[in-house]
Amino acid sequence: MASIAMDKPGATALLMGNEAVARGAIEAGIGVAAAYPGSPTSEVLPTIAGAAEEMNIHAEWSSNEKVATEVAAAASFAGIRSLSIMKQNGANVAADFIVNVNMTGIGEAGMVIFISDDPGGMTSNNEEDSRTITKWLDNPLMEASSAQEAKDMVKWAYEVSEAVNLVVFVRGVTRLSYTKGNVILGELPEKREKKAYFPAIWDMYNPVKSKFTSGPFPVFHKPLHEKLEKARAIFETSTFNRYMGPENPELLIITCGACTSYSTEAVEALDVGHRIGILKLGTTWPLPEKLVGKYLTSTKKVFFVEEMDPFVERSVMELAASMLPETSELAFYGKRSGHLTPYNEQSTDLVIEALRDILGLSYQPRDLNYEKEAEEAVKLVPHRPINMCAGCPHRATFWAIKNAIKLDGRNGFTCGDIGCYSMAFAGPGFFQARTMHAMGSGAGVANGFGNLKQFGFDQPVLAVTGDSTFYHAVLPALVNGVYNKSNFTLLILDNSATAMTGFQPHPGTGELATGEPAPVVDMEALCRSVGAEVRVCDPFDLEDTTKTLLEMMRKESGARVIIMRRMCELVRAKRKIPRPYTMHVDPGKCLGDSCGCDRLCTRILGCPGLMWDSEAGKAAIDEALCVGCGLCADICPVGAIIREEVS
Amino acid sequence: MSSNGRGSRKLIEDVIGAGLCTGCGACVTGCPYMVAYEGRIVVLDKCTVEDGDCYKHCPRTQTDMNAVSEKVLGVPYGAEEVGHALKIHMARSTDDQIKQKAQDGGTVTTLLALALDEGIIDAVVCTRMDEDKVPHGYLARSRDELLQCAGSSYEASFALEAYRKIPHESTDKLAVVGLGCETEALAKMKTDLPINSVNPDHVQLTVGLFCGWALRSNTFHPFLRGLCDPSQAVKFDIPHTPHYTFDVYTSSETKSLSLDEIRPYINPACQYCWDMTAEFSDISVGSAGSKFPGWNTVIIRTGTGAKLVELAEKKGIMETQPLPEWRLSHLKTVALNRKRTAFKNITEKTGDKNDLLYVGGLSEGVIDKLRED
Repeated sequence: MASIAMDKPGATALLMGNEAVARGAIEAGIGVAAAYPGSPTSEVLPTIAGAAEEMNIHAEWSSNEKVATEVAAAASFAGIRSLSIMKQNGANVAADFIVNVNMTGIGEAGMVIFISDDPGGMTSNNEEDSRTITKWLDNPLMEASSAQEAKDMVKWAYEVSEAVNLVVFVRGVTRLSYTKGNVILGELPEKREKKAYFPAIWDMYNPVKSKFTSGPFPVFHKPLHEKLEKARAIFETSTFNRYMGPENPELLIITCGACTSYSTEAVEALDVGHRIGILKLGTTWPLPEKLVGKYLTSTKKVFFVEEMDPFVERSVMELAASMLPETSELAFYGKRSGHLTPYNEQSTDLVIEALRDILGLSYQPRDLNYEKEAEEAVKLVPHRPINMCAGCPHRATFWAIKNAIKLDGRNGFTCGDIGCYSMAFAGPGFFQARTMHAMGSGAGVANGFGNLKQFGFDQPVLAVTGDSTFYHAVLPALVNGVYNKSNFTLLILDNSATAMTGFQPHPGTGELATGEPAPVVDMEALCRSVGAEVRVCDPFDLEDTTKTLLEMMRKESGARVIIMRRMCELVRAKRKIPRPYTMHVDPGKCLGDSCGCDRLCTRILGCPGLMWDSEAGKAAIDEALCVGCGLCADICPVGAIIREEVS
Repeated sequence: MSSNGRGSRKLIEDVIGAGLCTGCGACVTGCPYMVAYEGRIVVLDKCTVEDGDCYKHCPRTQTDMNAVSEKVLGVPYGAEEVGHALKIHMARSTDDQIKQKAQDGGTVTTLLALALDEGIIDAVVCTRMDEDKVPHGYLARSRDELLQCAGSSYEASFALEAYRKIPHESTDKLAVVGLGCETEALAKMKTDLPINSVNPDHVQLTVGLFCGWALRSNTFHPFLRGLCDPSQAVKFDIPHTPHYTFDVYTSSETKSLSLDEIRPYINPACQYCWDMTAEFSDISVGSAGSKFPGWNTVIIRTGTGAKLVELAEKKGIMETQPLPEWRLSHLKTVALNRKRTAFKNITEKTGDKNDLLYVGGLSEGVIDKLRED
């Protein structure tokens, strides 16, 4: 039995935020969960999938977030509670559907979307505050501040969703998703009695009841706003909104989400709990205005502690403006005043610094000598840039791309995309990716470059995509490239994995989220059927791959494809396929850093399996990290790296 | 003769990026970062070596002509128009198979085949045209392979890149066939030994080829493909004055183009070259001119060269005859003009009549004689 579905109400489990979300949805009795992998949310779906059979849940990895929300909505239309999960970028992808399902309303059963943002962009390609999407699309929003709250909020969100007939967003951030906390488990749901059924209403006189939108749209827009006001009324009395502190605080902190901890810790560290009140909001859109308004009139200073956009700050200031002249004496601190920045994560230290400034406090967090020593000690930590794994086929692919582009000599370039191969913008991929935006944008932007011949453009254009990204968003771009005859070459880096996010299955890997077998999409056939010329290369055959790249780059035709097919090294390891070679360096042959080599293997190829012995002045194999892929032997100009087949 | 802390970055700045690269291939002999590809040097990655063989051996970086001359020829660099010469005469092969493939007299092929046969050398660094007549550096180890290399492409071929194919620990005795720039590069290699390539002291024999200018493969071949199927071409020839043509012989016909049509594809770096007769070789060979079809002009510069030619004559595989005075005089005039044009172009490029770019180590007397007043 999957532990996430354990039948022990009242028991305490140590759960990651993501796991708590899964538990909350399971306790709410969902029947469908759909998502696309994206850090920091990737654990939610597989956790649910682990209990899918026993809890009778359809848990699927969808090809993208738009499809995932559509899948979840259909379940709601048919009376089944559903959950969709995504990172901040997924919200962008799903937005067009959500705006429309807000017009029709969801079904009888609630639908919740869990979004987790990534302040600081630690595992993202951008930094974005998704909360405004709920304001933009007109959906209720809750922000969890602990694992327990994540579970409880998700569960309650279904009640709210059904009460107002809208998709409800529960939002977290990386710190929430990945921090583990004690969670008191609730009851598991009753077995579902009703069968799924879609009433498929068509009522000429009451179109609002249908699930298709039809004009005139203000007829649908007005009820949407009314639903939102209903949600606001529910939020006014929610226990997720809490106040801690004196009745008339000198300063009121209004905070939400992960910043709740930073605020409480800062107040404690400065020992100003008697002067500062903390209003922690769990429901941040629509703003519970009566509640907040009450606290606004209890103080003279308001300090907003939230990450990224001044989302709460703005709605509260809007409220304060509407309460004039009662609020005319209030001083506001936050993003507008510059006390906190709208970028990056916040932290207890940053909040302490801001409070020191606002209240004129002095505070020495630690001994000055210790501080100096700590800063010196940091310099001892070796610099560790990002890198691809030892044996990564992308390293070979980008080596071939780098050389082919140079040999071709027409200033060609590669449009990058999202995945492990994103690292191609830096050293690991030899700085080959020269544009990089959203999922699938590599092929999209390449399409654009490939159209510019009439303006004298003569540079060969390459685009890279992973296999999962291909099914996610690149297919339409490929179709566009063939149809509009755009001159570029699409490289599909097929390593049999959605690797960067944690090896989730996808339409090409033959497995479902639950581990059951799935049909495999024939990638070559798919590309050919679209009308593209397709070649398949093994990136570890550098000569053939470079030659094929040169040939394809020199064509003048519509979009064409090279599938770089080689299993991800970690997939090989997981499947216990034996390593192909054992490697060693012959120090007698190795030229080290002298003319004729200049450390080509350790300085440029940069595989973690290679190391530089600075005492001996020679390269060596790091036997702990080398996986025996053999690539370096082909790079060494003097054949000093020996590869031996493993018998 | 150190390079004063210069590596590939300086080479790219001073030579490759400055329009001086002749396409000799010296820089790529021991280097994994640069390759010769389709008639150009391609830099694949950045090298950080500050004292690189590439810069030292490039014939278009500072060259101490005296030091090089002493090392290779045993005499200081003089003002002779055709370089230091022990003997100058005409020669041709007596071997029909060689004569059939030869550009003119087949002298080079004959002498090298002999040297291989006698065990004087084990391999030859030379040039071979591929199926589409693009020349590449090649390592020939047999008479048959040498025959494949006979005939001129009139293109810069990066001959010295073939050096790469020789393992470092090889003790093979080598010969090198090259143009003036290639033999100058080799002479610099002998004077300032490479750090990690095959020791050029293994080169027992250097054969230089006369050269007026060279075409660039990357621009010339697209033009050639517009004229004919290059794989059908069997010979290229630029007959001496009064002709003014570039002839392409195929099995069915001969296309004769005006040299003016070919000029756009000449390597611009050639305008700075002063060495028409490949002065840093044991033997230099060229065409004897349209009055002597099927004959080579041969300049013997060293004892090594003299011995080999003697042996060839003794074995009856080569015949020689004296070079008429008027012919020698003509050769000297053309060679001197070449030097003077080069010096003029160089000083125009540098903007300083005392800055001769790569030409260094010459005495005032020599410079004056070679420079147009």
